[in-house]
Amino acid sequence: MLSRVVLASAGALKTSAPITASFLPVSKSFHISCQSWTPVPPLPEEGGKVRHGLFPEEFFQFLYPKTGVTGPYMFGLGLSTYLLSKEIYVINHETFSAISIGIVILYAVKKFGKNVAEFADKLNEAKVQKAQEVKDLAMSSLQEAIEAEKKEQWRTEGRVHLFDAKRNNVAMILETNYRERLHMVYNEVKKRLDYQVGLQHLQRRLAQEHMVNWVEKSVIQSITPQQEKESIAKCISDLKGLAKTAQAKV
Amino acid sequence: MILNFFDQFLSPSLLGIPLFALAISLPWLLFPTPTHRWLNNRLMTLQAWFINRFAFQLMQPINLKGHKWIMLFTALMLFLISINLLGLLPYTFTPTTQLSLNMAFALPLWLTTVLIGMLNQPTIALGHLLPEGTPTPLIPILIIIETISLFIRPLALGVRLTANLTAGHLLMQLIATAAFVLITMMPTVAALTSMILFLLTILEVAVAMIQAYVFVLLLSLYLQENV
Repeated sequence: MLSRVVLASAGALKTSAPITASFLPVSKSFHISCQSWTPVPPLPEEGGKVRHGLFPEEFFQFLYPKTGVTGPYMFGLGLSTYLLSKEIYVINHETFSAISIGIVILYAVKKFGKNVAEFADKLNEAKVQKAQEVKDLAMSSLQEAIEAEKKEQWRTEGRVHLFDAKRNNVAMILETNYRERLHMVYNEVKKRLDYQVGLQHLQRRLAQEHMVNWVEKSVIQSITPQQEKESIAKCISDLKGLAKTAQAKV
Repeated sequence: MILNFFDQFLSPSLLGIPLFALAISLPWLLFPTPTHRWLNNRLMTLQAWFINRFAFQLMQPINLKGHKWIMLFTALMLFLISINLLGLLPYTFTPTTQLSLNMAFALPLWLTTVLIGMLNQPTIALGHLLPEGTPTPLIPILIIIETISLFIRPLALGVRLTANLTAGHLLMQLIATAAFVLITMMPTVAALTSMILFLLTILEVAVAMIQAYVFVLLLSLYLQENV
């Protein structure tokens, strides 16, 4: 039954690696911690505290309840007195050599100890810094990605307005197109009608002129020669009469 | 109680068991194994930094084929420098004061470099016997001289280290004895002698480190010629 659970959840849990270990029934979890049947305590970050450069602080703390503050020093004094007086430690030329090398070591530690420690710390710090930079870069790029995503989401909200504007645009274009075509149709129809009207005017004029010409021609033809003579004689007599009156006026 | 100033150079033995092996392997304890951690404590960081810097520095002039020697040289350097520096502490035995140890390091390594050169590029290796730009009449003599210098190299390497360290230790013992004896008779002179001893100690510290470095450097130079 558990195997069915495994098969069903395997696909869903494939990406969630940290949770996988607690859900899947495995006898061994991988890469959760350093596997060891004898777990070792973690390394302390700082070195142990020492007094006078050599003696661990724990020694002084150990003796403090029974002998107080001066206890360890008395112990050291007593021990050295015992060793010297019983000649268990013999003072010879090596002592002098020991004193010189002791002074050199002490001087070196006092003078350069801090610098060396800071240097070591700086090396570790640089290592951490490199990893931190990678992490910071990843975080900032992810942050930017989030911002960009939010902006895109905001943009999709305004999509409706975009579509409305586009729709209006298209409607306007269609309207303009329709009006243009209407105008064109009107112009074409007018052109044709004007043509017909012009044609009619022309025909009427032609007919009129023709008729006038015919009338004139027939009138001229109808004037017989006798009539013509009579009209000319009349005109002359009229003129004579007018000339007389005119002469009289003048 | 030392009767003889050369007793400090005797191979130590306890109840007939020679402790020389112990004396040689003690410095190994002082170099902790690198941990499986990404960030270490100060000692590990400094050790790693020192080893990396030293290896990089030493292998820079050597071409790629010689980079096989890097582990050997770094290990040798750490060994020599730690033994030399530990020998400055009182009542310690310095293995590198023994000519046998130094020759055991110098001779095989020098011979390896020579053989590598002779087998892989014999012309170039033999060509090293004649420096460039020598006037023609001097060539025969110079080749003989260069051959002698070539064969004296292991001796020089071993004896240089031995002599420097032995002389330093002896000198320190002598001056310390002088100061020790004079402190009852003429305290001011004893004080002066102590000053000299102090300065000598500083010199000895420097010599210890420099001699170790020179040993390894010269071997790397011999490698550079031949590889």
